[in-house]
Amino acid sequence: MSAPAILPARGAADRLTGVFWRRPNLLLLILVTPPLLWLGVVYLGSLAALLLQSFYSIDEFSGVVKEEFTLKTYAELFRAQNLDIILRTVVMAAAVTLACAILAFPIAYFAARYARGPWKAAFYLGVMLPLWSSYLVKVYAWKLILAKEGVLTWAASGTGTGFLIDGILSIPGLEGSSLSTSPFGTFLVFVYIWLPYMILPMQAALERVPNSMLEASADLGATRGQTFRTVILPLAMPGVIAGSIFTFSLTLGDYIIPQIVGNSSRFIGLAVYQLQGTAGNIPLAAAFAVVPIVIMLIYLTLAKRAGAFDAL
Amino acid sequence: MTAAVEFQNVSRHFGSVRAVDGVDLTIAEGSFFAMLGPSGSGKTTCLRLISGFEKPTSGTIRIFGEDVSSVPPHLRNVNTVFQDYALFPHMNVRDNVAYGLMVKGMGRAQRHAKAEEMLALVKLSGYGDRKPAQLSGGQRQRVALARALVNEPRVLLLDEPLGALDLKLREAMQDELKALQHKLGLTFVFVTHDQHEALSMADHLAVFNEGKIAQIGTPQDIYDRPATRFVADFVGSSNVLPPELTRALGGPPQWASLRPEATKLAATGPVSGPVTALRYLGSGTRVVIRAGETEIAALVPAGEPVPAEGEIRAIAFAPQALHLMGEA
Amino acid sequence: MRSDRPSLLLKITAIGGLLFLHLPILFIFLYAFTTEERTYQFPPPGLTLKWFGVAWERPDIWPPLYLSLKVAAIATLMAMVLGTLAAAAMSRARFFGRDQLSLLIILPIALPGVITGMSLRSAFGIMDIPFSTWTIVLGHATFCIVIVYNNAVARMRRLSGGIMEASADLGANAFQTFRYVLLPNLGSALLAGGMLAFALSFDEVIVTTFTAGQQSTLPIWMLNELVRPRQRPVTNVVAIVVFAATFMPILIAYYLTRGGSETAGMGK
Repeated sequence: MSAPAILPARGAADRLTGVFWRRPNLLLLILVTPPLLWLGVVYLGSLAALLLQSFYSIDEFSGVVKEEFTLKTYAELFRAQNLDIILRTVVMAAAVTLACAILAFPIAYFAARYARGPWKAAFYLGVMLPLWSSYLVKVYAWKLILAKEGVLTWAASGTGTGFLIDGILSIPGLEGSSLSTSPFGTFLVFVYIWLPYMILPMQAALERVPNSMLEASADLGATRGQTFRTVILPLAMPGVIAGSIFTFSLTLGDYIIPQIVGNSSRFIGLAVYQLQGTAGNIPLAAAFAVVPIVIMLIYLTLAKRAGAFDAL
Repeated sequence: MTAAVEFQNVSRHFGSVRAVDGVDLTIAEGSFFAMLGPSGSGKTTCLRLISGFEKPTSGTIRIFGEDVSSVPPHLRNVNTVFQDYALFPHMNVRDNVAYGLMVKGMGRAQRHAKAEEMLALVKLSGYGDRKPAQLSGGQRQRVALARALVNEPRVLLLDEPLGALDLKLREAMQDELKALQHKLGLTFVFVTHDQHEALSMADHLAVFNEGKIAQIGTPQDIYDRPATRFVADFVGSSNVLPPELTRALGGPPQWASLRPEATKLAATGPVSGPVTALRYLGSGTRVVIRAGETEIAALVPAGEPVPAEGEIRAIAFAPQALHLMGEA
Repeated sequence: MRSDRPSLLLKITAIGGLLFLHLPILFIFLYAFTTEERTYQFPPPGLTLKWFGVAWERPDIWPPLYLSLKVAAIATLMAMVLGTLAAAAMSRARFFGRDQLSLLIILPIALPGVITGMSLRSAFGIMDIPFSTWTIVLGHATFCIVIVYNNAVARMRRLSGGIMEASADLGANAFQTFRYVLLPNLGSALLAGGMLAFALSFDEVIVTTFTAGQQSTLPIWMLNELVRPRQRPVTNVVAIVVFAATFMPILIAYYLTRGGSETAGMGK
């Protein structure tokens, strides 16, 4: 007596499996609904609320939010002081992105081309750990280092390079009593904090450059410099752009670093934070928060055209 | 006797692609059935239709007489040996083999004993504690076989099970599979693109082309009497003669096939040409003659004179050796 | 043969860059032992262990620590459920809206935190939702989903799809396949994702300041201390705790997902 060709369902689990099999879209729907609801309602809903708020305005006398559609709040963004904030933030983001790209390159290049075995793991961990580990602690570490009485001043006076710091601090626009109160300090900390976000995509892009291609270039008589300029750099470019999306976007929105290190001149993030908090002007805060979104959308469109997303 | 597997006008379309297109098929219980065809011909989809991983767009599939259109894979008493074996990487060999029994609720001691029995059957006693990653390709194949057979399925499906093995191992496994099937008396359905494998192992086979069955029959049928040009070409054993040559040889203006073993060489005849290739096969010599556009192979038995390359020879054969076939 | 060795300059800049990423953290540790509590004087005039005791006694540290742990734990759990579901849906065949969903999952970390924070703040404002632990959790879970999702998707991509079919073929129903095949193979990736999500949530300050109201998580406590310092070395002691609470999960996550390359060659 042989077993039946079709086994009986042994319970609800078997029957439900049968239902899923007969209607595969039902299972998909069950899987996708909770995250979709969460992100759709909580996140997109909030973004919509942000947009909505940005079209409200605040009554200048009572300080009460008027829930009527107006472009007045956006018009406020174009006041000189607010344009200043936007311009300062964009310049900072661009400078930070450029510095990150330059600093990240040797690390990414070395890790992608030469690091093998345990060195490879060390480089990977060495970039991953600072990327993930406490943001605030890292910012704080720089407060210690850049303080007037801190490590850097001590090291500079020990090596007789104090004039360098004084020189930087005397550049117009970068003035401060120490690096920790100078915009240059803000810049340094931004670069430090976002550097890993540049290294990883750059390394990923460089790892896709086959060694044979570099050898081919050398065989064809290119010098190291020529190989670098004509082969490595163009191939690393998608990684640089992918990384720059992070460094640019993160700098645009950050408000902790300029609050702790620097001369407390305002950046977009800080403006949003202060407007919604102490000033209680939520519509203007919301309008300010829309600025990075618009800038990033422009940036992403340009990056997409440059083919950066193939490297993500 | 009910058929083990029966397809009635079964189609499976993916968008505009007709992977399986109106297939009728009956696989007798206890047979070793091969599905042969080039890749993309629909043979693997047919196998997946039996196991339940694909659902027919139209048509009816019956397993031992029961319509399985609403039966999910896990309730079909049919097991598969997958092409890449699909062993569970996190389980040792014993747990892999006992998996089917475990999910059916059999106790630990009993299912492990059964697993060991199966491992002995596939000559892998003592490998129970190893992880799949520690096994060779041939050993993994046996584990996959044991894992399927332990469930005592009514039909065993094999999806190119020998494809990943090297030639020597492959030949050994062909014999073993055949012996195993004989011993267990199970219905085996075997998918392959290798015509030698299909011809040597199966007792019945279906040749697939573009989602349809081009021919179904015993290896002898397929080999000696290919139904269509495609079958003759794909099975590759016969000379394929275009209508004008068939007519020159005295037949109707139709495509025909002619086996090399049945083809003799003659000094003169209606179809002749220069010898273009010679291959010594031990039991004889394969001589290829070019007649116009067509190459015709003949087998010259050992001991008979073999022409030199470039010499002109005609072909000759017994009239019943010429087999007429359809166009498609 | 052509010599292919890194130039000395490249070596120095690469290793120098790596040190640049790590050395600053050491000063956090050093300053936890300094006897100077009003300035960041370097080198420290003297070393002491007393700040650990002082920090332990400070009553204002414990509630934020407790809140941070609670928020991180709940947000991580929610993110693990939602991230896994999203990954499972993505691992299935193409479906309508698939690309849009993946963009939606990534958006909360692709956009600057201040936008996520301000958006939630606007939504709470419009709907009159009072700040609570749950408003913090809401924000954290949203950006933690992608962390778990990324880990799960990467592992699913490596898993041979055949093993799920093999399980069904051998008679397992969907729940058994999940329990005996999917979970054991996905488990370490999910755990790693959970670890990273926990680290991210425990440490998060940008979104949190918008969703916490008057509540204080440990990073918000730290931020206040940075802006208006009291006993500076105590802040360092807390910083060490925060650092350890993020560092350890990251390290564990790394080891959980590291062995991946061996299983990738499986089944061949």
